[in-house]
Amino acid sequence: MTVVASENWQRLSPRMLLVHPVHEVLRQLPLLIGSVVLGSATGNPMWTLVALALTVGFGLARWFTTTYRIEPDEVALRAGVLQRKVLSVPRNRIRSVETDARLLHRLLGLTVLRVSTGKETRRSAEFELDAVQADQVPRLRAILLADSLAPPDGTGAQAAPPGEVLARWDPSWLRYSPLSFTGLAMMLAAVGVAYQAGVGVALQKSHAAQSGLDAAQHFGIAASVAVVAVVVLIASVVLSVLRSLVTYGNLVLRRDADLLHLEHGLLRVREHTFDVRRLRGGTLRAPLLVRLFGGARLDAVMTGVDGSGEASLLLPPCPTRTAEAVLTELIGRPDMVTGPVRAHGPVATRRRWTRALALPCVIGVALLVVALNVVVPAWVWPVWAVLTVCCGLLGADRARSLGHRVDERWLVARAGSLERRRDCIAAAGIIGWTVRQTLLQRRAGVATLIAATAAGVKRYQVIDVPAELAWSIAATASPWVADNDWAAKH
Amino acid sequence: MDSAANDVVTLVDPAHPPSRKAPLVWAIGAAIPWLGLAVAQVVWVAIEERLSPASGWYPQWLHVTAAVVTVLGALVFVAVVPLWRYRVHRWDLRPKAVYTRSGWLVQERRIAPISRVQTVDIYRGPLDRLFGLANVTVTTASSAGAVRIVALDSDVADRIAAQLTDIAAIGSEDAT
Repeated sequence: MTVVASENWQRLSPRMLLVHPVHEVLRQLPLLIGSVVLGSATGNPMWTLVALALTVGFGLARWFTTTYRIEPDEVALRAGVLQRKVLSVPRNRIRSVETDARLLHRLLGLTVLRVSTGKETRRSAEFELDAVQADQVPRLRAILLADSLAPPDGTGAQAAPPGEVLARWDPSWLRYSPLSFTGLAMMLAAVGVAYQAGVGVALQKSHAAQSGLDAAQHFGIAASVAVVAVVVLIASVVLSVLRSLVTYGNLVLRRDADLLHLEHGLLRVREHTFDVRRLRGGTLRAPLLVRLFGGARLDAVMTGVDGSGEASLLLPPCPTRTAEAVLTELIGRPDMVTGPVRAHGPVATRRRWTRALALPCVIGVALLVVALNVVVPAWVWPVWAVLTVCCGLLGADRARSLGHRVDERWLVARAGSLERRRDCIAAAGIIGWTVRQTLLQRRAGVATLIAATAAGVKRYQVIDVPAELAWSIAATASPWVADNDWAAKH
Repeated sequence: MDSAANDVVTLVDPAHPPSRKAPLVWAIGAAIPWLGLAVAQVVWVAIEERLSPASGWYPQWLHVTAAVVTVLGALVFVAVVPLWRYRVHRWDLRPKAVYTRSGWLVQERRIAPISRVQTVDIYRGPLDRLFGLANVTVTTASSAGAVRIVALDSDVADRIAAQLTDIAAIGSEDAT
């Protein structure tokens, strides 16, 4: 690449010359393995060496071809070895700055810096500085956010940000993590990869598998299944706890004036800086198993931050009281965070029950029909009974959690059982309302009210409110709804 | 707890129906894929008779079922749904808000404040152009808040777009 005269274009940390080749080798591992195979098959190790040299060279070239520039009105990034791209972001569009340091980066004192704007971007279109030296990050962050935020007072404040700590990770939070499915998912993924790699076929032929089958026959099928289930369960719990520890260990949520800092991770340290003025509320999420132990997680509802994934996470599963205290601190309305919600009445309750029990009823009828014609094993009936009871409990819990709360400033919607969520949305952030009715809802006289915002997951639902109340709720939060000729007040 | 309890607000439905040609255009739009399906079935029958004139029992009822499903589906989507949609679809535009009702089985009423409007698009598909219709999409900063007014007469759509861009101070504020 020809060096441009302007000295404004800066390079990333030269230490990346060590990191890029390693990452490139890891990324091209299948290719390299292929070249090793080819090399040993043809008896010519040159193939392997050439492939390795090309990969390392490509990694080095990445550093030489990547430059960035911070101008008064925009930041720009030029990157790409074969396919050049220039990415520029207007500085007043920067909504949050995120940093991420993987293990190798940390060893070398490097940090990846990612800038996020209001637009939803694909992975390739992200403005990502991979990587700068960790000690430059506070300075860069201050520069990048300076345009969209009030400037920090003095230069001394940047070096040691004081601020108020909203929440700090506690080892006791780990008690919520065995109850997630992450461990199981990780194991399934590992098994899937192993099978793809042909381990399964090898296993079927191997001696170990044969002796395992023999042992299973010796102890009986039921006992073997139980043993395997227990082993899987223990492994899943251990993996979940470990993952939670490594990902969320040392979490600190800190607020300095208009900035919200989230920092977490034991090995891979991630740091996320949010602009509090873009905060449009928060969502308390409590999966059933976490809720049983009094836990909840907290997501930010913020413009420019994707609402569904990890990007909006403020607190991982933690004691409900902690999550509620933090949300209260952020939105300043304790009644909206913890206050009672208004239930949606008997019709909504009935609809939760019919939905929960429809499946067991259909299965029950089908079983009866089958049982009248052929012999059904006896264990089917208790299983069906348990399923029915579980569905009934689910329906009851869903009916109980359904509710809303509204005033001129905030809208709260609570719903769900397997994952109960309480969305607290600022009325000022709501930029459209939809009242949606299916055929059955019209007959039952209820409607689903959808508040559209530019923040978080964009649509927040209040499910099955009585149809005559739907527009009242909307009008309470957004006076402009009632300020038209269509509206009639009673 | 909240003022909604003693102050019930209801919204009357928006006033203006879509173009009178809307049901016809919707019916033609729906008829094309169903017609394709019918033709495919005729071809299927013809090929089967050529290849194996007296092969077994299954094609008979399979053909009949497929034909019945096609006829019923075509009847519903070409005859019933366009009329139903025409009865439901309404729109209205006032200085402060744009308001629509749409759908048939699932019906939606959507309202968005003009002050938060970001863009106004007019879309004309091939069929729309043939019959002089147009669709107006009013977007806001939320992907869940776009208001679509479909199957309008072209001149009405142009008037709406002009009116919207007139009253909406587009670009004057952040609108999020």
